[in-house]
Amino acid sequence: MKCAWKELLAILPQSIRQDVDNLGREMLQEIRLRKSQPVQLICHKQTHWLKTVITAADLNYTVNAASRYSPWAATTISQGYLTAQGGHRIGIGGEAVIRDGQITGIKYLTSLCIRVARDFPGIAASVGQVSDTMLILGPPGSGKTTFLRDLIRQIADKTCVSVIDERGELYPQAADFMPGRQMDVLSLCDKPSGIDMALRTLGPSCIAMDEITSESDCNALIRAGWCGVQLLATAHAADVQDLYSRPVYRPLVQTRLFRSAIVLQKDKSWKLERMKL
Amino acid sequence: MNLHWLGAILIIAGCGGIGFGMALNYKREENTLRQLIRIMDMFCCDLEYRMTPLPELFRKAANASTGQLANLFANVSKELENQIAPDAAYCMASALHRSRELPGKVLFALTDLSRSLGEYDLDGQLQGIKAVQASCNRQLEDLENNRTQRIRSYQTLGLCAGAALAILFL
Repeated sequence: MKCAWKELLAILPQSIRQDVDNLGREMLQEIRLRKSQPVQLICHKQTHWLKTVITAADLNYTVNAASRYSPWAATTISQGYLTAQGGHRIGIGGEAVIRDGQITGIKYLTSLCIRVARDFPGIAASVGQVSDTMLILGPPGSGKTTFLRDLIRQIADKTCVSVIDERGELYPQAADFMPGRQMDVLSLCDKPSGIDMALRTLGPSCIAMDEITSESDCNALIRAGWCGVQLLATAHAADVQDLYSRPVYRPLVQTRLFRSAIVLQKDKSWKLERMKL
Repeated sequence: MNLHWLGAILIIAGCGGIGFGMALNYKREENTLRQLIRIMDMFCCDLEYRMTPLPELFRKAANASTGQLANLFANVSKELENQIAPDAAYCMASALHRSRELPGKVLFALTDLSRSLGEYDLDGQLQGIKAVQASCNRQLEDLENNRTQRIRSYQTLGLCAGAALAILFL
């Protein structure tokens, strides 16, 4: 496993760094910090509970350290998360600050869910040659991003891939995740703009992106479809049937933009499924 | 007799030195304030157009300034990079604590800046910096007014005080 471990430890409250380092170095997936509760470490096959009880100051420290004390560098807090150096995503629980009907931030933090960005070179090797547009499906925590990271790398060894890394998690600068030979990364750029920019300026054979979540993402993908560019993306769905049931993804299937999907299971296995309505 | 004269010269030189030192401090305070205003301008541009994170911003400021101010900014940047303090204000306060040699007016302005540091969104942070910059500008104006007279009075007062003391002792 490759992971920006030092960067991860640096955003944790000092009282738990040593324990996390001892228990989680090998297979840590997630750290849960909840106010007035002990720390929960979720590893590959087991969960550890530390004795340390988390305080509000600990939560604030983690958010401050992850944003490098610069709230403007963490504008995604209004979307409920921020990405720390090394690509670790921090989901935030607390009280939403609403201005003009829009969520502008989160105050009085109550919990943080730190998803550790990990790289397993070679996990997507069994997929083989990918020549079609492809969707990677899986429930949260099934390893979509990790799988996509390796798949992109494999494709980028053979052809030119533009990666739209909206959350800065796929190939973060602080992590030494091995990039593909022909890979261009557009970080922290929203998907619709990123796709347009990549098409116009980076001359890709394939455009890859993580987590299609909104209608605008789907529309951008459809706009980019049939341009002679292969598309690669991930989406939250337990299987193809789940994907059909979610109205936001329907246009992707109806337009036959994506005809096959790699479905990831919780046990880290995968299967290829054909898609049709 | 010679010893008397030597003592008198030493007293005059000592008191004159104090006066000249005060005049020099006055100039140094003015220069540091001017430097700080320039750095605040850089902060505003960098934040507005690049949204630079604070540790990097202070590192740049350290490279763009000289003397005590450069040391202070480098210390703040180091504190922020170490990620030990709970917030940016704490980092700044701790760095300021180690920079007691900074002129009073500059210390005051920097303490003001630390209160808004990393507390608000980009607009809030820019407003905070601009408010401190405006206060620095006012203080600089104060210093520049009657600058020549004040510097001359410090020097003259030093020399005169020395001469008066020398006469008393003689």
